Amino acid sequence: MDVPELLYKKAEFIETASGNKVSKNSVMCGSQNIILQGRTVVLQDCIVRGDLAGVKIGRHCVIGERVVIRPPFKRFQTGVAFFPIHIGDYVVIEDDCVINASMIGSFVHIGKGSVIGRRSTLKDCCAIAPNSVVPAETVVPPYAYYSGQPALYVNDLPECTRELMMDYTEAFYQNFKAV
Amino acid sequence: MSVQITNGALVCEEKVELIGDITIGARTLIHPSVKIIAEAGPIIIGENNLIEEQTIIINRFKEGDDESKMKVMIIGDNNVFEVGTYSEALKVGDNNIFECKSKIGREVTISNGCIIGAMCSLDTNEILQDNTIITGNQRRIANEKPQSQLSQLDFLSKLLTNFQKFKKTNVK
Repeated sequence: MDVPELLYKKAEFIETASGNKVSKNSVMCGSQNIILQGRTVVLQDCIVRGDLAGVKIGRHCVIGERVVIRPPFKRFQTGVAFFPIHIGDYVVIEDDCVINASMIGSFVHIGKGSVIGRRSTLKDCCAIAPNSVVPAETVVPPYAYYSGQPALYVNDLPECTRELMMDYTEAFYQNFKAV
Repeated sequence: MSVQITNGALVCEEKVELIGDITIGARTLIHPSVKIIAEAGPIIIGENNLIEEQTIIINRFKEGDDESKMKVMIIGDNNVFEVGTYSEALKVGDNNIFECKSKIGREVTISNGCIIGAMCSLDTNEILQDNTIITGNQRRIANEKPQSQLSQLDFLSKLLTNFQKFKKTNVK
């Protein structure tokens, strides 16, 4: 995968000591509950709801524009609880997605405009097609490609998915340059 | 032209745009980055509604509408607008759920207890029956109305007061 160079204005992004680049235009609610482990890029107009529950995002992730990451809730007999959300390393979430999952593994690719339902689990090295709707509580197995509304299994991904995702996310980070 | 927020409603301040004549009922919760625009007449939102991020509720003229006739948009009680909903519907009843990224046109009348599934788009001229469920390209009628969202609303209103700044209420 070739990654085009993406330029940004230095004043519009915050760069942390561990190399995260977070747009100043994004909404990070409850930032004390949000952990970005390093070299993760968060683009414009993203919303991450750390105030509802903890959000942990691994290294080398790419979070596209207007993505909403929002911990899922579950209703119990005694009340309501929000679950923390864990996202692994080398994960690409493209523009306009809504993420309500409880766990996303590493090396996962989520296409443009997808909706990931409440408390679903995406295992390592899986991919979701653009404009898919993954229903609540779905478990997407490793190396599976899911597509459609509701998202269903289509085919397997190649064994080198892990390397492809590492190459892509690292190249994205390298080509994301300040002007 | 004024925005009236009833006492007890929680409207986050961050990136929320309220334009035009808007009334927001008691215990309604509005999350950050929501747009509510009243161009073609006032918008009245009832009680106990939950409006999540990136929702756009807009009262505006369609092409060819007589622009001198203002129409009131009424949204009932206990509705949930999930992330990214776009609604132009003039009449929305009670206990409805609009899932993520659903899109509702201006001519549709939503009655009570309806669920509009994720990414469904509805731009017809019809009155939806009570308890209609629309998912993908199917529709059916449920036997009972969806579960109430009050417990979630209670929990959220306690939780969010620790983290968010809210707009001031101005009506008792």
